[in-house]
Amino acid sequence: MMILQPIIVLLGAAAIIPLIDLLGKKIGFEKIRDIVAIAAFLIAFIILYSFFGNLPQSFTIDPYGPPLGVELRVDNLSLYMAIIFCGLGLLVSIYSIKYMEVDSGLDKYYSLLLILVAGMIGVAFSNDFFNLYVFWEMMCVASYTLVSFRKYKWEPVEAGFKYLVMSTIGSLISLYGISLLYGLVGSLNFTKLHSAIETIYGNGSAPLSLLYLVICMIIVGFGVTAAMVPLHTWLPDAHPAAPSSISAMLSGVVIKTGVYAMFRSLFTIFHPKIFDFGTILMLFGVLTITIANFMALMQKDIKRLLAYSSIVNIGYILVGGGIGAYVLTHYGLKEASIAGIAIIGSLLHILNHAISKGLLFLCSGCFTHEAKTRAISKLEGIGKKMPLSGLSLSIGLFNLAGIPPLSGFWSKLFIILASLSIPENNFMLAISIIVILNSIFAASYYLWLTQRIMLKKPTEIVEKVHEAPLSMVFPIIVLAILCILITIKLDLFIKIVELASNNLLGGV
Amino acid sequence: MNDVLSIYLTTSLLLIILGFYCISSKRNMVKTIIGIEIITSAINLNFITLGFSKNGVDYFAQSITIISISIAACIAAVALSLILNAYRHYGSIDLRKLRRLRW
Repeated sequence: MMILQPIIVLLGAAAIIPLIDLLGKKIGFEKIRDIVAIAAFLIAFIILYSFFGNLPQSFTIDPYGPPLGVELRVDNLSLYMAIIFCGLGLLVSIYSIKYMEVDSGLDKYYSLLLILVAGMIGVAFSNDFFNLYVFWEMMCVASYTLVSFRKYKWEPVEAGFKYLVMSTIGSLISLYGISLLYGLVGSLNFTKLHSAIETIYGNGSAPLSLLYLVICMIIVGFGVTAAMVPLHTWLPDAHPAAPSSISAMLSGVVIKTGVYAMFRSLFTIFHPKIFDFGTILMLFGVLTITIANFMALMQKDIKRLLAYSSIVNIGYILVGGGIGAYVLTHYGLKEASIAGIAIIGSLLHILNHAISKGLLFLCSGCFTHEAKTRAISKLEGIGKKMPLSGLSLSIGLFNLAGIPPLSGFWSKLFIILASLSIPENNFMLAISIIVILNSIFAASYYLWLTQRIMLKKPTEIVEKVHEAPLSMVFPIIVLAILCILITIKLDLFIKIVELASNNLLGGV
Repeated sequence: MNDVLSIYLTTSLLLIILGFYCISSKRNMVKTIIGIEIITSAINLNFITLGFSKNGVDYFAQSITIISISIAACIAAVALSLILNAYRHYGSIDLRKLRRLRW
C-alpha cells in the first residue's frame, strides 16, 4: 500500500482543492489552495524520499495480480524518475503562487498540476501496460488542459488542440501495439511479457516482423510525447503558449515521461540481445539533435528557442539509450560496461535537463512577467536589471551547453565516450561525430543567448523592469544551486544513476 | 473460430485506416475528433477480439476496453471544449483558420 501513498496524496489534494478554494473565498484567504497544493507536493516528495533503502516494492490487487493482471512496482529507476517529477512539481507550485496571480480559475490550475504529477509518478511506478496507459492518459489530459489554460488568447487554444490531436494519435498507436502484444502473450505485465517474448522468439510462434512492428509502434507512440523528430511539431507551439510554470513542467518532466515509458517498455520486454532497437533509437536521436539545433538557431522568441533546445536534449537521451541497446545487440554481455556507461549518461542527462530546463523556463517566466515580452531582441540586457534571475539563467544555460565542470558536461561526455569506446565500429563513430559537432553548435547559441541577456545594453522596455517577487525567484535559485550541487557531488549522483541504470538493464 | 477472429481483426484494421483518413483529410475540427474516436473504437475491438479464446472471454481485455472508453470520453470532452474556444476566437471550426502558429 505504501507505493500508492504519493499518488493518493496528490490525487486527494487535487480533489479537495476546489472545496478548499470555496472555503478560502469565504474566509477571505484565497492563497490557502496554493498552500494545500504545495503541502501535498511536499508530503508526496517526503514519502518518495522515504522509499530509499526499501526497494524494490510492489503492489497488486488480488486476484488480478501478476502474471495476468496489474502491478505497481518501485525500483531505483522508477524512484529516480518519480523524485525528479515530484521535485520539479513542488518548485513549480511555489513559483505559481505569484506568477499565476493574474489568472482566474486557479483551483482548476492546481488540481490539474497535481493530477499531472500524479499521472507521471503512476507511469514511473507501473509494471504493466494497463496501469501505464491509464496513468499516461491521466497525465496527457491534464497537460492538454494546462497548455490551453489561458483560453481567452488564440495561441493556447491552437497549440492545445494541435497537442491534443498529435499526442492522442501517438497514444493510440502505442495502444494498438500493446493490444498486439496482449494478443501474443495474453498478459500486459512487463515481467510476464519479458519471459513470454523470449519464448515466442525461441520457438518462432510469431513472425519476427510482427514483433518489430510492435517495437516501432511503441517508439512512435511514446515518441510523440517525447518530442522526437519528426513527431515533435506540437512542442515548439505548446511551450510558448502555456504559462511558463507549465512550460517548465512540460519541458522538464513530461517529455521525459515519454522517454522513460519508451526505454522501460523496450528494455524490459524486448531483450536488446535479440531485438536491434538500439539502431532505430540512435538514428532518431541524431536526427532529433541535428534538426532541432538548426531550428533553434532561427528563433526570435526566447520560449521557442528553449523549446527547440528541449528537443535537442531529448535527442541526446535517445542516443544514450540507443547506444546502450546497440552495444548489447552487436557485442553482447562482454561489452555490457559500455552499455552501462551510455545508459548512465542518458539517465544523468534526464536529471540535468529536467533541472536546467525547468530553471530556464522559470527564468523566462520571470522575464516575461516583468517585461511583458518574449522577443529576445527586446529582452537584451535584462540580466542587469534582474540579477538573480539573469545569473540563474546563465547557470542553466552553461549547464545545458556542457561547459566543464558542470554536470551537463559529464552526462554528454558519458554518452560520447560510450559511442567512441568501440573505435572499429564506423556506425558508432559516425554517430559520435554528429553528436560532438551538434554539442559544439548547441553551445554556441546557448552562449549567444547568455551574452544577449547578460552583457548587452538594456533596451527601453528592460530599463523599467525590476527583479521578480521572492516566491518566483526562490525556486529558480534552488534549481541553480541544484545544478552546482550535482556538479560538486557528482560521484554520489552517478552512484544513484548507476543503480537506476542497473534496473533498466536488469533483464539483460 | 480463427476465421471469425480474423474477420474482427480485419474490421479493426479497416476502422483504423478509416480513422486516419478522417483525421488527415477532413478540415472540420469535430470530424478530426470523430476520427480519433473511430481509431479508439477500433483498438477496443482489437482488445475484445484478442481476449476471446476457446475457454471463453478474458475479463482483463474487457476491463481495458471499459477504461479505454472512459479515457476517450475525457479526451473528447477536452477536445470539444477547445473547439468551442476556437469557435469563439475565429467564428468557425475550420482547421484551415487555425494557422497563426509559426514554424
